[in-house]
Amino acid sequence: MDRFLEDLLNPVNLVAALIAGAVALAGAVYLVMRPKFFRLMLKNLRRNFVRTLLIAIATVVLVAMVTLIWTVLYFLDQVTTERAKDFKLIVTERWQIPSQMPPTHANYLDPDNGSFLADLHGRYTSNDFMTWSFYGGTIEKGSYTRESIVFFFAMRPEHIRSMMDEGESISADLVEKMKNNRRGVLLGRDRMRQVNRKVGERFNVFGLNYKGIDLEYEIVGQLPEGRYDLSGIMNADYFNESLDQYKQQKKMPHPLDQKRLNLVWLRVKDRASFNEIGNIIEKASVFSQVPVKVETASSGIGNFLEAYKDLLWIMKTLLVPTILAIMVLVVANAISISVRERRAEIAVMKVLGFRPGQILNLVLGESLLVGGLSGLIAAGAIMGMINSIGGLKFPIAFFPAFLIPEWALAWGPAMGCATAFLGSFVPAWQARSVRVSEVFAKVA
Amino acid sequence: MNVPYLLLVAGGGLLGLLAGFYLALPLRKVPIRYNVRSVMVRWLTALVTAVAVTLVIAIVVFMTAFVKGMDQMTENTGHPGNVLLLSDGATDETFSRVSAGFSFSQFSSPIQNKIVKTDEGQFLASKEVYVIVTHVVPNSSPVKRRFVQMRGIDQPRLAAKLHGIELATGDWFSSTGVPEVVLGDGVAKTFGQDLGKPSIQIGDVIEIGPIKQWKVAGIMKPSGSTFGSEIWVHDGIVQERFGRVNAYSAFVVRTANAADAKEVAKLITEEKSADRAFQAYTERDYYANLSATNDQFRIAIVFVAVVMSIGGVLGVTITMFAAVSQRVKDIGVLRLLGYSRWQILCCLLVESVVIALIGGLIGCAIGACFNGYTMNSIVSSGQGGGKSIALKLVIDGWLILGGLSAAILMGGVGGLIPAVHAMRLKPLESLR
Repeated sequence: MDRFLEDLLNPVNLVAALIAGAVALAGAVYLVMRPKFFRLMLKNLRRNFVRTLLIAIATVVLVAMVTLIWTVLYFLDQVTTERAKDFKLIVTERWQIPSQMPPTHANYLDPDNGSFLADLHGRYTSNDFMTWSFYGGTIEKGSYTRESIVFFFAMRPEHIRSMMDEGESISADLVEKMKNNRRGVLLGRDRMRQVNRKVGERFNVFGLNYKGIDLEYEIVGQLPEGRYDLSGIMNADYFNESLDQYKQQKKMPHPLDQKRLNLVWLRVKDRASFNEIGNIIEKASVFSQVPVKVETASSGIGNFLEAYKDLLWIMKTLLVPTILAIMVLVVANAISISVRERRAEIAVMKVLGFRPGQILNLVLGESLLVGGLSGLIAAGAIMGMINSIGGLKFPIAFFPAFLIPEWALAWGPAMGCATAFLGSFVPAWQARSVRVSEVFAKVA
Repeated sequence: MNVPYLLLVAGGGLLGLLAGFYLALPLRKVPIRYNVRSVMVRWLTALVTAVAVTLVIAIVVFMTAFVKGMDQMTENTGHPGNVLLLSDGATDETFSRVSAGFSFSQFSSPIQNKIVKTDEGQFLASKEVYVIVTHVVPNSSPVKRRFVQMRGIDQPRLAAKLHGIELATGDWFSSTGVPEVVLGDGVAKTFGQDLGKPSIQIGDVIEIGPIKQWKVAGIMKPSGSTFGSEIWVHDGIVQERFGRVNAYSAFVVRTANAADAKEVAKLITEEKSADRAFQAYTERDYYANLSATNDQFRIAIVFVAVVMSIGGVLGVTITMFAAVSQRVKDIGVLRLLGYSRWQILCCLLVESVVIALIGGLIGCAIGACFNGYTMNSIVSSGQGGGKSIALKLVIDGWLILGGLSAAILMGGVGGLIPAVHAMRLKPLESLR
């Protein structure tokens, strides 16, 4: 419920819900109070069926397009908007990416570790802590193609469900399997398909970023579809053991031994806690050799999206308004033609006692009915289609795919209604203002 | 897939077909004046349709210019004779780590013989350490960070010669370890804008990463390559301050030509020993591999363009259906006067194509205004890594022709069904 209210307060969702709700309510009222008038609208729409169909097709296609674009923008907006509570705090190397820190950095931040910083005691628990290391390799030695390369997040299984974004969607059984089998990994659907492996299979990976660290895995399960389709998760203990074994065998540490920790995530309850904890960590002398920075997840993701800023600007400021403008023009053109063709009929209606307001409502109603229904159909259809294939595959930063949110079911009708209203208001006003004497003078 | 070229063929073909029909038909033609008057009568609907087409074409030209700018950047980066050496298995400089102790004279003779030497007998080669630095945007509140690309170079003049980089102003940094930077033209503009001026100037002092006071020693001439988005500094500083002691990211060597580069890349990759193993790419291949993002954007743009065009096509269809329904009697008269069905079809198709073409012309003109406009993006191989780039939108004659052809196609496709409907009207029935 909290989540629903939080999403509802998003300006786009709120405006969409208000528009769609208001039009649906007005339609329902008309249907109940003036059923004959409603039937007249339907008859009018059916009379020039080709034109109605063309408007509907244009609306469906363009609303579907805007829904796709807005899905990407909405998701990125969500992940870069700071939440009021349940902050995720990211600790990374201060001055460069990829962040590479010594493993001891994690010890100072782990509440279960003896080296845990005294100043942090009681500020968060072990359930609010997780580490990330990135291991990449190829399943065929010497081959570096998309079909042979796999990347894994090395993390402790017990942190997956509690800390990862959408982690609760990963079943507890799979996590248990990873705990029981150190070589057990979870792979995303697309990655599994790319490397042509199935759940239950074993395979070897030859390290690319960790040269000389070759690992043997068993796929114990598939990650939920969507965000993690191209990802893989391995047990951090196995990763760390492999680096330790390398040191024993080669009598020297791996070149990346002291750079094996990429990120630390902490969860804090609010902004004030974030500021306090961030301050303590950034100033801690234990991090002076390899300085760290502390930022919120939203700000960290925002930094990565900086390179896409102009592209996102094109999508948001240029593409979406242009498509909506085209929809308005198409509707305006069709409705104004329709009104011109029906001038005599409108004059007769006025003679029969229809008031100008009713004529205005009739034309607007026809347009809103087509727009709203087409928008709903477009949003529903595109949501069903795209989500059934695991989301819109348009990789941006580290997001490989975007699932269309349920809120699209409000965006679609709202877009359809808004563009229908804007496109048909002037023609509807012209219809309202038809002068009976002028029309009959011309007919005569 | 060259989309503007395909559009050009399709649109040009349609225009040719229409012109051919119109000129080759043995009977008299429906006078163009008739179409002009008809459009004048319905000027508002024609105008609205043309505006819809204008919007579609303008946005498609703009977006295609964006991808063309990215393409041009990846194509222009890298000398055909250069070979880039990364650590074995690496596909990106960001994740590559090669030993600083390596000497080019360790290569076998066949490789050494192919590497070009300078007048002083030195290998025309460079050792480079590449890092992506977190840069705090000055005066930003709340604090904003961006990632900037820094390349540590051992011999800047030699590296500049190797990469075809020239300085627009200033000089190369000294090798004394004093923090001095040479900025690419793109990054100089970005940093300048942070400080409220068009570009950073020589002598300015800027903060990048852990070093608070970098003195700007030089600014590169625009090269249209990804190097224009980089910061070049002395290698020792990068190695010391970014945890890369005794390591480089890549070596670059120059061979005589593209064929030699290919051969040397192959020989170097195959020549592995216990103490050295490289993954070598010709520089052109390496940067061409960074076009995965371009391909992704290109596919997205084609998809968006097709969908938007459907909107434009439907706008034309609605207008032309209305035009036909209002001219049923006209069409009956024309048929009785002896004009054939095909001439009626041509007459209406020409009308819809011209409306769309006018929209297309205005759309292309609007799009063309953005030629050379600078924007930021990212290029990557799609396997991690990638480079932020400052690119210039590229709008050339082919793109304009492609845009016009798309408009002609929209007019042709949109007008076809109403024109066929008009063509099939029976003269006597039309006049009733």
